[in-house]
Amino acid sequence: MSSDLKKLYSDIIKRHQEAPFHFEKKTDMQNTIKAYNPICGDRFEVYIDFDRKTINQLHFHGFGCAISKASTSVLVKALEGRTLAEAIGLCENFLGYINKDLKSNEVLLQEDFKAFSGVHDFPERNDCAALAWRETKKFLESKITKD
Amino acid sequence: MAFPVHAIKSNFPIFTHLPELVYLDNAATSQKPRSVIQTITDFYTKENANVHRGLYELSSKATQRYEEVRTKIASLIGTSNPRTIAFTKGTTESINIVAYSFLKKNLKPGDKVVISAMEHHANLIPWQQVCKQNGASLEIIPVNEVGELRLELLDPLLDKKVKLLAVTHISNVLGTINPIEEIIFKAHKQNIPVLIDGAQSVGHYPIDVKQLDIDFLAFSAHKMFGPLGTGVLYCKEAFAPHVDPHTYGGGSIKNVEFEETEFLDYPHKLEAGTPNISGVLGLGAAVEYIQQLDIVEAIHHTKKLTISFKDKLKSLGGITLVGNAQNFGSIVSFTVKNIHPHDVSGFLAHAHISVRAGHHCAQPLLESMGVPATVRASFSIYNSLDDVDKTIDAILGVKQFWS
Repeated sequence: MSSDLKKLYSDIIKRHQEAPFHFEKKTDMQNTIKAYNPICGDRFEVYIDFDRKTINQLHFHGFGCAISKASTSVLVKALEGRTLAEAIGLCENFLGYINKDLKSNEVLLQEDFKAFSGVHDFPERNDCAALAWRETKKFLESKITKD
Repeated sequence: MAFPVHAIKSNFPIFTHLPELVYLDNAATSQKPRSVIQTITDFYTKENANVHRGLYELSSKATQRYEEVRTKIASLIGTSNPRTIAFTKGTTESINIVAYSFLKKNLKPGDKVVISAMEHHANLIPWQQVCKQNGASLEIIPVNEVGELRLELLDPLLDKKVKLLAVTHISNVLGTINPIEEIIFKAHKQNIPVLIDGAQSVGHYPIDVKQLDIDFLAFSAHKMFGPLGTGVLYCKEAFAPHVDPHTYGGGSIKNVEFEETEFLDYPHKLEAGTPNISGVLGLGAAVEYIQQLDIVEAIHHTKKLTISFKDKLKSLGGITLVGNAQNFGSIVSFTVKNIHPHDVSGFLAHAHISVRAGHHCAQPLLESMGVPATVRASFSIYNSLDDVDKTIDAILGVKQFWS
């Protein structure tokens, strides 16, 4: 097993993929964010309850590779309880980090985010890590501008 | 005599360039032999000119060689008539031509088109869209649990409302070889024209349009050792006058006035604009390459690899074969318990093994079989038992990593 593969499938990623956080179908919740990748067939739904200020509850369900599943699990864990603005900031940070965007604020990076540094060596897996984050960011931005 | 796999592999320059490559994504596109690459290079180096235009030697030679490829293709698929062969961009365009330039004008509300549950999106969406636009319905021949068509359900589907039946010869996901002779026979009893999607079969398996009485046959050059961006639509003589031009422009006309245009006959009426001449010549070289192979031995070889791979996979445990038909080609789809197909293919890629993971452009099929995605390995003439063993070892490594 090569070291970069081990880095790609870090222990944190393996843990999230095996025991994902809030992994449950919750269609009764306020909103469903669809994160589908038509190229590979990954399909996740992120269920979100929020009020004017705060994301109260997040769950997710669906099917995808270890990277996309773990990254969605990390998203759910990181964004629950945050304000919409904070959540958008975290999305920007995560997406910036996996895209090697130097503007992303290293200080704000959580340990769980850093677990995805392996995709730097596997650019074709970038979409897997970014899938739910991109769609969630888009969704949150649409909610914040409407208010 | 053993199949000369090493000699054959040496005909494909990519394996000299990438000696470690284990290429098992042949159902997506095949590699190209030197003769095909050389033909394309030679055309641009020594022979480049447009066809059906100039009266100078280069142009007339290009025209002659371009037209000769129709004859080569015709002989490959069992007809002596090169005027049944139209060049297209590929299987997808060929099928769209039949949907939009043949079927649509006669498809009325309440009419039906029959396809199977194992079609590639290319042999599903064109029919689905034409049906929607004209108020017709799409009827589906179901697939059983091992991935064979449930032909006992075909007869009741074939009534007077059915205006066309389209089915694949070999499934790109399951590897199933469909009994197209029987399907065509049944459809023709009801006067229903049949389109065969030959993307996975032409060039690899004998196919005889006359003997099978195929009405339309669509296939791509790039899956049969030819270049990308070139394909064929075979159309039986009787239907050729009823296929309309699908794009308009030069090269497809007899006479043009401001009010009216008179088009050439099939196939030229489908080839408006400057065609992909180097692609067609490359396809001709691919046909020559195929015709010097012993096709029976080639099928025997890829079948041997497929059986060996399936057997070794099963012995690993925790493997589910998706599709296990009695009559199968050199395509194997499978899942590994608790490991997503992308994670399997990612590991294999690291060992220089190219396989495909995903829904393989057949989303409804996989949904009906209850799997969102599979890993797919597909074998060709340059693959060896060594490739099989390397892949099995790598899959074992994936399983160990995740256990």
